[in-house]
Amino acid sequence: MRASGQLELDSYRLAQYTVSCPCYICGGGNNFDAELCRHCYAPMALVHQANSQKIHPRMVAAIGSSGAGKTVYLGMLADMLSKGRDDLQLLARGAFSIGLQERTMASLARGEFPAKTPNEPDRWNWVHCQILRKKLKPVELILPDLAGESLLEEIDHPNTYPVIRAFLGKCSGVLVLIDAARCQAGEADEDFRAMKLLSYLCELQADKKTGWASKAVSLVFTKADQCDHCFDDPQQFARRHTPGLYLQCRERLKRHAFFAAGVAGACGYRLEGRGRIHVPLRIEPRGVVEPFHWLLDEVAR
Amino acid sequence: MSRVLNARWLTSWPSWAWNKVSRFRARPSSLLDPSSLSLASIMATAEQSGQPEIDLVQQMVAQGRYSLLLRPQIANNLQPAQLHAAEEALDANMSCVPAGPVIMRPRRFEDLDDQELARSERVVEVEGFFLDRYPVTNEQFLRFVQEGGYEQMNLWDANIWPAVLGFVDTSGLCGPRYWKHGHPTDNKLHHPVVGICWYEAAAYARWAGKRLATDPEWVKAGSWPVVAEGAPPQQRRYPWGDALDRSLAHVWGSGEDDTCSTRSHEKGASVGGVHELVGNVWEWTSTSFGVWDLANLKIETATPMRSIRGGAFDTYFDSQCHLHFQSGESPLARKHNIGFRCAVGFCDVASYETNSEQEAAA
Repeated sequence: MRASGQLELDSYRLAQYTVSCPCYICGGGNNFDAELCRHCYAPMALVHQANSQKIHPRMVAAIGSSGAGKTVYLGMLADMLSKGRDDLQLLARGAFSIGLQERTMASLARGEFPAKTPNEPDRWNWVHCQILRKKLKPVELILPDLAGESLLEEIDHPNTYPVIRAFLGKCSGVLVLIDAARCQAGEADEDFRAMKLLSYLCELQADKKTGWASKAVSLVFTKADQCDHCFDDPQQFARRHTPGLYLQCRERLKRHAFFAAGVAGACGYRLEGRGRIHVPLRIEPRGVVEPFHWLLDEVAR
Repeated sequence: MSRVLNARWLTSWPSWAWNKVSRFRARPSSLLDPSSLSLASIMATAEQSGQPEIDLVQQMVAQGRYSLLLRPQIANNLQPAQLHAAEEALDANMSCVPAGPVIMRPRRFEDLDDQELARSERVVEVEGFFLDRYPVTNEQFLRFVQEGGYEQMNLWDANIWPAVLGFVDTSGLCGPRYWKHGHPTDNKLHHPVVGICWYEAAAYARWAGKRLATDPEWVKAGSWPVVAEGAPPQQRRYPWGDALDRSLAHVWGSGEDDTCSTRSHEKGASVGGVHELVGNVWEWTSTSFGVWDLANLKIETATPMRSIRGGAFDTYFDSQCHLHFQSGESPLARKHNIGFRCAVGFCDVASYETNSEQEAAA
């Protein structure tokens, strides 16, 4: 605060305010210093990075019902790739891109699963990263951790979450996460929800050549450590336990593949208060990188 | 050295061995296959052909069943040279862990404050025992399978009999889950056997004249507690010290995403010469999961679990592959990263039993 109690006129600031800054996700206009897009709540850092580094990141979404394991999967994937021990290496762009990895790994190391992703888009974690590939060009990617409930809400009531519609419309590929343990237990809602998600995508971009029918879709059965045989043949697992989804994929999607992934070797429950909290007994990632690797190859093709 | 079949020794042979002989008699095809030459087939052949000079003791030592020979009731009937051969095999394959105290800690002891930690730690007195220097390999388990281990019901807990028929490999034959046509892949003969449930591990141990180690035994063999006067035992976090060195163990990030030979990390041995305690495969113990946890931190599981220890090739966090970390698994689970090793108490080994009696008398 100046002694006179007055601010000098920053003419260059005024000039910046006069130019609208479009959000990278929804394209809506924002002030140059906005932290989140006022239309869709996506971080404006995405567009600033794209402009300053002259890059055009591709977008990949991880979608699935609430509790399917999107946060754990993405956090684990980011951590594994950032350690550089696979063919793929992940370099985060911007501090905000490390938040998801940091929170997920801190929870898992404590012997807990991370808290449920809140429904408010302004509280979602976004990852903007560069994926380095052996002997191939690096790929710039944007990967948000979307809330499962928000996804289903958007599907049931379109435009409730503009960010989801805008983002999925721009995605080059998608990871559909399905809870294998629930599928094996005979709970058909996983099948229905996955079918809803795919139907939504196909309606969102219906063109046969440029729409979702020809985009890459990686279908990942998560928590497969709880039904070990899912690892043996994920496609067979899909045919048996999610017949609707299997048929829909076969008929509607040209480029799709089924995978199985698990992060916790075994799980139990810890009593806390009056409730029970689901906890991992150990962390041993299996099949986490493969679905993403496949998707990346398809997207970068 | 060949040996004359000792009638007196044979009469002391447990009844299940005779059951096995009769079973193999009913299946002459197994006797024709040279790869299936085994104690049972040799005994049967010896009986039929009247060639008692076949050396059963050597055969048993080669099969890794030397601790059966060293049982007090059997060892007394062996010739000195035979006893010596069995003892040499014991020394070569098993590490001697002396009796003494070991501190057992709950699962998440790092998160507890000093008071809670003091309340939760338990000092357990462990009797002297021998522990396998290496986890049981595919090659060792193959001998058990070829001996008809899955058909000898006396080796199995009675409550698990109905499930034994389901313990098959990828081709539907008896054996670990990831084998094919009753065999492991050739390049994995020296890898630890995986895809076996707790009951299969226990059955193998019985066949070999051993047992699964208890949790305190397993921890003691690795952490090698040193008892200073007036202070609690000082224990190591890893067999080689207190910090994880990824070159000394096969955990996530230190090699391929699969099991490796049990001889891959010779420098990662414990003070007593026990290898691969940390990494490569989790190891079944005979203890139940969660017994060391405080009541308010107990973890409930859908089915009662058995304790597994040591971490595996895919264990992600350093904090989950040290000697004091306990995880659990359903005793019927046949996972890709769980193996086992066997133990035998001093009391079950004749020379050690005699020595301790003499020491006590002195």
